[in-house]
Amino acid sequence: MSDKEEREIGRIQELESTNLAREEIRDLVIETKKKVERDNDILAERINKEFVKNNIKSFDIVGSIGAGKTALLEKICEQISSKHRTLVICGDITTRVDADRIEKHNVETVQINTGRECALNAYHINQIIKNKDLFNYDVIFVENVGNLICPSEFILGTDKRITVVSITEGEWVIEKHPMLFKMSDIAIINKIDLLERLGTDIDKMISNAKNYNPKIEVITTSAKTGENINKLIEIMGL
Amino acid sequence: MKEFIEKIENSIKEIDSIHTSNLRNIFQDALKEIKNHHKIDNYIGDFPTFIEPVYLGDSVKIGDDVLLGPNVYIGNNCELGDYVELSNTIILDNVKLGNNFTLENCLVKTDSSLNFDILKEKNCLLIGQAESKENLKKISF
Ligand SMILES: Nc1nc2c(ncn2[C@@H]2O[C@H](COP(=O)(O)OP(=O)(O)OP(=O)(O)O)[C@@H](O)[C@H]2O)c(=O)[nH]1
Ligand SMILES: [Mg+2]
Repeated sequence: MSDKEEREIGRIQELESTNLAREEIRDLVIETKKKVERDNDILAERINKEFVKNNIKSFDIVGSIGAGKTALLEKICEQISSKHRTLVICGDITTRVDADRIEKHNVETVQINTGRECALNAYHINQIIKNKDLFNYDVIFVENVGNLICPSEFILGTDKRITVVSITEGEWVIEKHPMLFKMSDIAIINKIDLLERLGTDIDKMISNAKNYNPKIEVITTSAKTGENINKLIEIMGL
Repeated sequence: MKEFIEKIENSIKEIDSIHTSNLRNIFQDALKEIKNHHKIDNYIGDFPTFIEPVYLGDSVKIGDDVLLGPNVYIGNNCELGDYVELSNTIILDNVKLGNNFTLENCLVKTDSSLNFDILKEKNCLLIGQAESKENLKKISF
């Protein structure tokens, strides 16, 4: 494979559209894409084995930009940090803002800045945990890069995936993003303190989530007032 | 951080008399120290992926699709090619790496210029003005 071809494949992978591949390299592009996805899944499985072996409960928190992933993690960590030794891995394009916010609640954090990538993958997580003594943790949270699309391509090896949306995004937000809800264990509808102002149809959001995934647990929360945070912690088994 | 780097530099000054187990220890100490000096705010190039902690010196040039960290120190005026991936690695000042390098637990000596593509190394010191993999000096530690 020439350097140029390799670059071209890389670019197409990033764009995630096989249709853009020239006829001559179409097969190669498809094969490569499949391999990358398979490698991620194999690695994720290995990561999960490590977590389980060390009695660690692990959660991948995904969700839209600004839905309240960090705010919820702040509330959760505030409650559990004295009980569980906790590590939070934060994914963002740039900055350490989220890790700094969460660290204030007496938990260890690692920030990953993904630069151009719109989701964390199992390789990122593996690079971190192979440099840590997992014996030192009871709970690991990963806050994924904020968006409802890319994270569905990469599982990370956590026990559970939690998808967060907020009522400010409109009652169609779940309906419009089936993938993540299909692969999540818990759906959080956040910012319900704003319900009176916004009048969002929460029942519709809940039934959309249940329609896509009958097994999903749906919970409404407010990271601002703390409403249902204890219930969330209970559902998470912490 | 400076003292840790100076210690490393001193221990590899005379290539023929490197004490590898000693080097391994001071290298590990330096890696641990990086977490107190995370600094990635100043570099030239495309947006790489950083897993903290990473320390970037002044005027570091970074190619496309680069993954740095955790525990990476890069000295001043270094240049990394495209698809470079470094973890638990210390690159001293004025070093140039080609494209598609994967280094883990490696140390690259000051002023080294690795002017070729594709290198995968672990647990070693790399030295040289090398136009190919063959004329690169490598000392395992
Ligand atoms: N009113 C209200 N505001 C909230 C709630 N949760 C979060 N916010 C606010 O919403 C904004 C975004 O919250 P974050 O916690 O940063 O959201 P995020 O999902 O982590 O965002 P990214 O990491 O950037 O994707 C902040 O200003 C929060 O204070 C909530 O339950 N109610
Ligand atoms: Mg956040």
